[in-house]
Amino acid sequence: MELAIETTGLTKRYGSLTAVDKLDLKVERNTIHGFLGPNGAGKTTTIKILVGLLKPDGGKVTVLGQDLGWDKPEVRLRVGYMPELPKLPKHLKGTELLDIYGRMCGMTKEERKKQIPELLDVVGLRERENDLVGKYSKGMQQRLGMAQALLNEPELVILDEPSIGLDPVGMVEVRETMKGISREGVTVFLSSHLLHEVQQVCTHVTILNKGVALASGTLKEISAKISGPVTIEAEVEKISEAVVKKVKELPFVTAASADGKKLLVELDTRDDVRSEVSQAITAGGGIVVSMNLKGESLEDVFMGLLAKRKEGRS
Amino acid sequence: MKMSASHTSWTTKFLAVVTYEILWNIRKKKFLGMFIVAFAFATLSLAGSYIASAITGQPVQQNPDFVISSNVGLGGFVFFLFAMVTVMNTISAEFESGTIVPLLAKPVSRTTVFFGKLFASFLTLLATYFFLLIYMAIGGFVAYGPQNNLHLVPLSLLGAVFSTLIWISIVLLLGALSKSSLMAALGALGIWLGTTIIGSILGALLGLGWFLTYIPGPGTSGYVGEPPPLGMGTVVSTGTDSIGPNLINYILHPSWEVTYYKLNLGGMTPGQVLWERLYSEPFSALILKSVAVAITYFVVFVGISWFVFRRAQITE
Repeated sequence: MELAIETTGLTKRYGSLTAVDKLDLKVERNTIHGFLGPNGAGKTTTIKILVGLLKPDGGKVTVLGQDLGWDKPEVRLRVGYMPELPKLPKHLKGTELLDIYGRMCGMTKEERKKQIPELLDVVGLRERENDLVGKYSKGMQQRLGMAQALLNEPELVILDEPSIGLDPVGMVEVRETMKGISREGVTVFLSSHLLHEVQQVCTHVTILNKGVALASGTLKEISAKISGPVTIEAEVEKISEAVVKKVKELPFVTAASADGKKLLVELDTRDDVRSEVSQAITAGGGIVVSMNLKGESLEDVFMGLLAKRKEGRS
Repeated sequence: MKMSASHTSWTTKFLAVVTYEILWNIRKKKFLGMFIVAFAFATLSLAGSYIASAITGQPVQQNPDFVISSNVGLGGFVFFLFAMVTVMNTISAEFESGTIVPLLAKPVSRTTVFFGKLFASFLTLLATYFFLLIYMAIGGFVAYGPQNNLHLVPLSLLGAVFSTLIWISIVLLLGALSKSSLMAALGALGIWLGTTIIGSILGALLGLGWFLTYIPGPGTSGYVGEPPPLGMGTVVSTGTDSIGPNLINYILHPSWEVTYYKLNLGGMTPGQVLWERLYSEPFSALILKSVAVAITYFVVFVGISWFVFRRAQITE
């Protein structure tokens, strides 16, 4: 397994506060890896260490197979980084900013001439390319932040809360961009507090709380770590004993019970079996009005992990 | 699709930082304002004799040494102000605004960023003073007739830039240490006030002017010849603000001897000495000291600023 990011025992303290506590993080290449955690979990601190803005107090960091060290531009040459709510120099025009950053990345004039208009098209800023960044809206600055992160065709893109400040259309575009660059073989490391965003685009997830990794792996692997069954809650017309019996006969159902029009089904699988359950209800004479899968979403997993951690401490 | 690192030369990155900084400098409103103020000072310097003539009724004399003695039409306070508006934002404002984050995340070493910014400040000053010098040269010719020794004018330009660089190193240091533009500005202003006003008063009254030779600023004053009212000696300043005119004077008058005096307040009464002679030194020694002091301060302050900047952690 080739790794884009690997940290071992990574520690960062601010005075008496330990922001990152012996973090072991593995991000596989060619994945979209979500980095989840509540505010103050240590996500941005970890990311700033990865891009050389902060110096760790302990542990080892490897990025794209190279020891990170301190102030090593050769590592950053292969990494694109979009900070949370990027603060870009307001005295430069959009296209000037990308041109100067491109030169800092060592791009030739031809490369810049070809790539900058393309990137501005991708982020929808082509018409405003000659405006000063100071005149851009927050959303536009966010888009420009994304463009500068992709400028040097990096092998690893680190995005810190890329959807903040964007309208719904912008959010969708950012997600599509992430999927697009991932298809081209770029590893994406995405810090986000938007669980549904992570669920929609990420293949892998690390959940961080108070500087400690609570879980890491594929979405399914993490879900499997959570105790407690996945359940289906269905609203059923003409609910009867026959309906409950038919559902109980399904091999992956551990329990089923009716409460008025509600049918509660406990499962021992994390696969999406809603169509099978629906067929069983129909076979028993019931009519499915609605059906929800619970305990499978990243939000459930996330909340479950945080709850487990709290229980462990109390 | 991946870009090769082979063509990522240091020069390309350095010049990118220089461009970034120069654009920032010349688009700053306060820099443009300072530019206008400097032209106003230079114009006042040009018009000085004409204003005096209007008041006293005396005709304006031709002055073939006007340009060479004008120090680009600027004085120490303008050097200080130019230093402040050029670099008070160079490091600290990047931290304050958060623009340091995307900048330092780029594949450019912090040393390149730091010295690129410093070089950009140098170029900005050089260009600004060059325009002022051309203005003074043309204005001097128009106002006071043909000028002597114009081939020495570049020394005036370099001297002005050098004098400003000392203040730049101070503002840069304060900015790097405090990461606050306000602290950098106030701290530098405090140092300027200390060396210029308080230092001069203490130096003149206590006869301790020699120590002003070893700190940045206007330094102390000595005389070639006797001070007024005893004679019509030429005033010479020892400080880093006067490197340009001193270099020119040294080329024109290499054998000058400078004498320093203490102001005796009791000398206001008849029978007492107003100026108490302290010591003399060759003009070459004065220049050597002021250049050495300037280089030492510049190297030390820039060195500390660079060290601090390299180690700075970006928590913002």
